[in-house]
Amino acid sequence: MAENNGKGNAVEMRDAFGSTLVELGKKYPNMIMLDADLHTSSKATMFKKAYPDRFIQVGIAEQNLFGISAGIALSGFMPFPSTFAVFASRRALDQIAISICFPNLNVKIPGSYVGLPTSRAGASHNCIEDIAVMRALPNMRVADPADAADLRAIMYSAAEVNGPVYFRIARLAMPSIFGNDHVFEWGKGVLLRDGRDVTLFGTGIMTTFCLKAADLLASEGISAEVIHLASIKPIDANLIVESAGRTGCAVTAENATINGGFGSAVAEVLGEECPVPHQRIGVRDRWADSGGIKELFTHHGMQPEDIAAAAKKVIQQKSRVRT
Amino acid sequence: MSISSEKLSKLEETAYLIRRLSVEMITYGKWGHIGGSFSMAEILATLYFHVMNVRPDQPDWEERDRLILSKAHGSPALYAVMAVRGYYPVEKIYTYCELGGFEGHTDMSRTPGLESSGGPLGMGLSVAVGMALGMRFKENARGRVFCILGDGETNEGNVWEAAMSAAHYHLDNLISVVDYNKVMAKGFVWDEMAIEPFAEKWKAFGWDVIEVDGHDVVALVEAFHRARWILPRGKPIVVIAHTVKGKGVEMAEFNYKWHTHAPDPMTADNMLKELARNYGRQELGYSKLNESDAKENFYGGE
Repeated sequence: MAENNGKGNAVEMRDAFGSTLVELGKKYPNMIMLDADLHTSSKATMFKKAYPDRFIQVGIAEQNLFGISAGIALSGFMPFPSTFAVFASRRALDQIAISICFPNLNVKIPGSYVGLPTSRAGASHNCIEDIAVMRALPNMRVADPADAADLRAIMYSAAEVNGPVYFRIARLAMPSIFGNDHVFEWGKGVLLRDGRDVTLFGTGIMTTFCLKAADLLASEGISAEVIHLASIKPIDANLIVESAGRTGCAVTAENATINGGFGSAVAEVLGEECPVPHQRIGVRDRWADSGGIKELFTHHGMQPEDIAAAAKKVIQQKSRVRT
Repeated sequence: MSISSEKLSKLEETAYLIRRLSVEMITYGKWGHIGGSFSMAEILATLYFHVMNVRPDQPDWEERDRLILSKAHGSPALYAVMAVRGYYPVEKIYTYCELGGFEGHTDMSRTPGLESSGGPLGMGLSVAVGMALGMRFKENARGRVFCILGDGETNEGNVWEAAMSAAHYHLDNLISVVDYNKVMAKGFVWDEMAIEPFAEKWKAFGWDVIEVDGHDVVALVEAFHRARWILPRGKPIVVIAHTVKGKGVEMAEFNYKWHTHAPDPMTADNMLKELARNYGRQELGYSKLNESDAKENFYGGE
């Protein structure tokens, strides 16, 4: 169990992305970075500077970005086509589905600028549907890191497995939960805090919010378990069932739409294996319009206070079910 | 540039077999695209039996030429030419569209020697661009990538993204072939969405263009020779092959109703006999005429 409570020094996820790309580029000589005119935003530019001969610029053409990546992978390389999550999951979905996932090609897809932290760019750029879209594709693995160390570990694991991977990168500095020795495993969740009354399942940056919610609940005498599920697909069904079966109720929190996303993935496990009261925190079938970051999290009911309120609700539902 | 009469008859024979086997598998598989398979029969015969450097017994040979079928609904013709070329026994084609068999559209995991998977139109040229770039990274100086596109699929924007990038990266190891059969799924190209002036579009995107009669194997041999040895290097090349959709059997020719249509066994039998007559051969009908009704129908029909 990680001892940290999400209050460590904040590190920009994008910086961790860029520096890990450079590390991986050294470890994997067959790694090739592709970009669609966004490398200084995503920080893929760090790879470009380190390995200019292994960087391909395709211009503003995301469908071509992923099609070319398929061809590069078919030539024995490990491409990392990088763009904003909205363009990967919407503009180029067919190319990702049929040119990459269908033949199970070794392509690693970083989706930048996910969810509400993209903030002022507005609904067109604040990607909320990528988890739902990507996890619907056979062969695709999906992960959403909580902090910089988690992102780095996910990228190492992405390179180790053969096949397509999609991972999310929020444009935000997140407090450290994990140390640099953190190891990410596909299909494995991490128990961050023991609890008896309710389980808070977080993915991505929302895990930090879950830890804060657990603090709020503790001050009211409620014992909340916190589990981080960076690996959304495959998902740690055993851990979900074990924990929710013991606490008797669950809250999920994701920096994305609740329609088909992480909360839905957990609900599928709970519904089939361990039906317990469950509330989902996330964007509720709306667009993530422009606004300040804090303002948006409040507007969409995704603050730690909202998670805590949802926890109290499921605890109440649980006692109603049991009486 | 000339070819021997033996080679010429081998290519003609292969084109016949491509058409013949396409009808066999589409009829037996109860689904498929005859029109677009027939229109590229000579193109595929010329590529697999004269132009491309491949080793069917070693399909992943690094130095090989690659072929991406962007118009992946033409899979029967590709499965047929690869069977004739020796990638797998001809009997394998009868698994077309069956669960676990050769996929309706292309699935490289199911068919040995297939270079990519596809189906949605407009996507293959990007994959070919990636492969051509991959060959550059590997310093593979001899291998080339061929990509067969349909005319209708050039309505897709992705084709032109790929075309732009191929020229940008000076991919002279990439040759695309457009099977310009003038007919789309539900109508004629100029009615559905005009693509002319077509050669000028490719030129404007930085490609060298060769136009050819896509049913004349001598002309095709010459065109690919020109692409390989005559045109200056530094640019991708497109061979615009003017063809007739459904070429080979009169009822299917220049007829969008035969874009997607599986013939019933009797129709297939007649088609194949007509095809044989057109090639001056002994009449040979549908080989599965007696067993084709044995296949299961879901709720009485599909």
